[in-house]
Amino acid sequence: MSHTEQEEPIPRTSPRRLGKMLAIIIGIQVVGAAIFFTHYDYWNSYQPNAEKIQLGLGTNTQQKQGQATGKTINVSLKFVESSDFKTLAFNAVSGSDHNPEIHANVGDKIVFDVTNAGKSYHAFAVTDSKEGPGPAIEGTTVGTADSPMKPKESGQATFVPSKPGEYYYICAVPGHRELGMEGKIEVAPSGGAAQPSGTEVKPTGNKVEFTLGFVMSSDSKQYAFNALPGQTGSNPDIKVKSGDTVTIHVKNNSKSYHAFGIVVDPDSQPAVLWNSAVKSADSPMKPNESGDVTFVAGAPGTYHYICTVPGHAALGMDGKFIVEP
Amino acid sequence: MVLELRKPRPVWQIMFSTHHTDVALLYTITGMAFLFMAGVLALMIRTHLFFPGQAILISDPATFNRIFTVHGLTMLFLFALPFAAGIGNYLVPIMVRYKDMAYPKLNAVAFWMNPIGGALLWLGFSDTSWVSYAPYSVIRAPGPAADMMIFGLKILGISSILSSINFIVTILKCKHPDLPLRQVPLFAWSILTVSLMTVVAMPTYAASLIMLLTDRLGVSGFFNPSLGGDPIAYLHLFWFTFHPEVYIFLLPAIGMMYELIPRFSRKPLFSQGSGVFAFVMLGLIGFASWGHHMYSTGMDFTTKVVFMIGTLAAVPASGMHVFNFLATMWGGRIRFAAPMKFAVGGIALFFSAGAGGVLNSAMPLDFITHGTYWVVGHMHLFLTGTIAFGFVAMMYYMFPFITGRMYSEKLANIHFIMMMWGTVQVFFTQHLLGLEGMARRIYDYPPEFTSWVQLNQIATVGAWILGGSFVIFLANLIYHSAKGKEANMDDPFGLGGKYYYPYQAKNPTHHTGY
Repeated sequence: MSHTEQEEPIPRTSPRRLGKMLAIIIGIQVVGAAIFFTHYDYWNSYQPNAEKIQLGLGTNTQQKQGQATGKTINVSLKFVESSDFKTLAFNAVSGSDHNPEIHANVGDKIVFDVTNAGKSYHAFAVTDSKEGPGPAIEGTTVGTADSPMKPKESGQATFVPSKPGEYYYICAVPGHRELGMEGKIEVAPSGGAAQPSGTEVKPTGNKVEFTLGFVMSSDSKQYAFNALPGQTGSNPDIKVKSGDTVTIHVKNNSKSYHAFGIVVDPDSQPAVLWNSAVKSADSPMKPNESGDVTFVAGAPGTYHYICTVPGHAALGMDGKFIVEP
Repeated sequence: MVLELRKPRPVWQIMFSTHHTDVALLYTITGMAFLFMAGVLALMIRTHLFFPGQAILISDPATFNRIFTVHGLTMLFLFALPFAAGIGNYLVPIMVRYKDMAYPKLNAVAFWMNPIGGALLWLGFSDTSWVSYAPYSVIRAPGPAADMMIFGLKILGISSILSSINFIVTILKCKHPDLPLRQVPLFAWSILTVSLMTVVAMPTYAASLIMLLTDRLGVSGFFNPSLGGDPIAYLHLFWFTFHPEVYIFLLPAIGMMYELIPRFSRKPLFSQGSGVFAFVMLGLIGFASWGHHMYSTGMDFTTKVVFMIGTLAAVPASGMHVFNFLATMWGGRIRFAAPMKFAVGGIALFFSAGAGGVLNSAMPLDFITHGTYWVVGHMHLFLTGTIAFGFVAMMYYMFPFITGRMYSEKLANIHFIMMMWGTVQVFFTQHLLGLEGMARRIYDYPPEFTSWVQLNQIATVGAWILGGSFVIFLANLIYHSAKGKEANMDDPFGLGGKYYYPYQAKNPTHHTGY
């Protein structure tokens, strides 16, 4: 080698420097992979706003679920097929079990346990349209035509009718309803004497007050009011008379954000009754904040006072609010 | 591969340097890293399609969509563009005899947008496919993945506009006064052409990304039919950018071949003028043919004919390049070192891919091949067969100048044979798959379609060979950049004298490193 014009030796890469460079690149990629895999589900968790608006435009009031009264009807359904696949049905291809008719009142919670006992792919939905594979009423589907239930899969769906009339439970895979996978749900207006749950009544002037505190266990796994589950005074029952003017003082004694409200069914999307909300899930109470709310207890029944921040009620922030006649 | 300047410096000094060779090194390494990441995804896709109905490796269709989306985006935006910018950063200032890029800090900023955009694309892992057509990308694609993709592409788009501006100013305004523009080496000409194309084409896509984002937020309805928008408008905006972008990916590879072929043929370039002319022609014609991606969207006949003619007009200009290469090699004392092998292989595959492109642009055939694996095969034959071959050739050529050491010619030979073989086996087979009717982007196919099964398995084996060749490439580069034989910096390829390396001449006014 002749380096005649070279005054200094040419510096060349050493294994150490290359190792350093590779360590930087691989280190960045490992950190990125860790972030990616720990959030794998999160990255695809949002529905675009445009789709929400579009679905909102497409649904009329009939297709929304109603307010539950507390009565629950359990129905278990199986997708079955005749051996030649020309007849499809629920529970039995023919006979008395075939596509059972369901009778309910407005506000009843119908819980469907569905199982795909057939060999083909199926999807469950409740609809109010008289023909075709939908549109399904929100929240009543198990699987969709795009990603149906495979054989032997099962699932659960709930339907709370908001209006009387005829509804149908169907297989949402196009064509299956026409082959027989269709059963009727007759919904009658809600039972005569009892006022529908959650309706407002005139105040009687009687005043009562309660105090509640949001608490959480130190590992943030248990949520409750006043005391942790298992201790005395956790989630106390509150009893009032219909028409009482109720004042509730709430204080956030935990380290998370909370909001208060009285609802009929803590499992379904809660609509807070009688303006009983203190803050909301969108702008909740910060730790150590407190608030008051005064409202008039409505129609008699058993209600729930919960934390309206999604998920907190299921973790234990759920107490009974009993309105006596 | 750590480039040394006058004296060894800590790695972090190179990382935060604004000197063109340092930024070039970062660009090149980033491009290579993303090449291997996206390559792994490609092998996952091909392996998954080996057996129909078995769901090997990828268990659900949504993940499959996400994998081919990120594979495409990464190969195009995080390998092809940064790698070309990297080689451009190395060579353009030297070719125009200037001490650095015109705006060194802007150069570094443009580079550092790449890892950020890349992180957004990879962490989101969107499922829209790289074209992200409306209305799926507007009303269905789940966030935040699709939003992260939009922002990531936005950042990468800005990065490529900034580096283009830098290249344009460097070449047009900073070149040595004694150097007439028409005598600027053809690689710099290719970078000038693609930079001008980027500046014209990219803003359209940048705008359509913003429109896509506001559409997703529900505040506008440009591409949302339920709000009176038109999804086809997105296709027009997209392809107005991305047909020119095809040439933006391609021309730097052609420019690299112009660097290598005369040198390794030990003969002057046959015609500088025709090369310049063909670059400029391709740069203009690139804007006249975007509609050929959309024949099947219901355009009227006259429009289709216009776009068909616009597409075919690219043929003579491409032919000028090929004949220029052939005439340069004719009668030369060719030395088939690795860079020359890859350059010649690239020319051969460029011709095959170009022939497929001519068939595609013919309207009647396009209706048969549209949306099938033919399209996948055609586009990958261009991207792997021409662009990756050109880039790999340039990587081997630059290797001794970057590291001061020599790669193993034996491993490079194995790499070349496997890469050539693999490329032909995967992508030619995919053309046939398309003619057999297999739609692109499908997750699974029925096992009773025996011709699909056979062709898919042939293609998958080819993909493994191609992937294996790149493993050899990586091992060759890493091992020999640390332990390789010391290169003779005056004539690393044994061509017989410094005359063959005009741009490596030592310049006392600045530190070029080689």
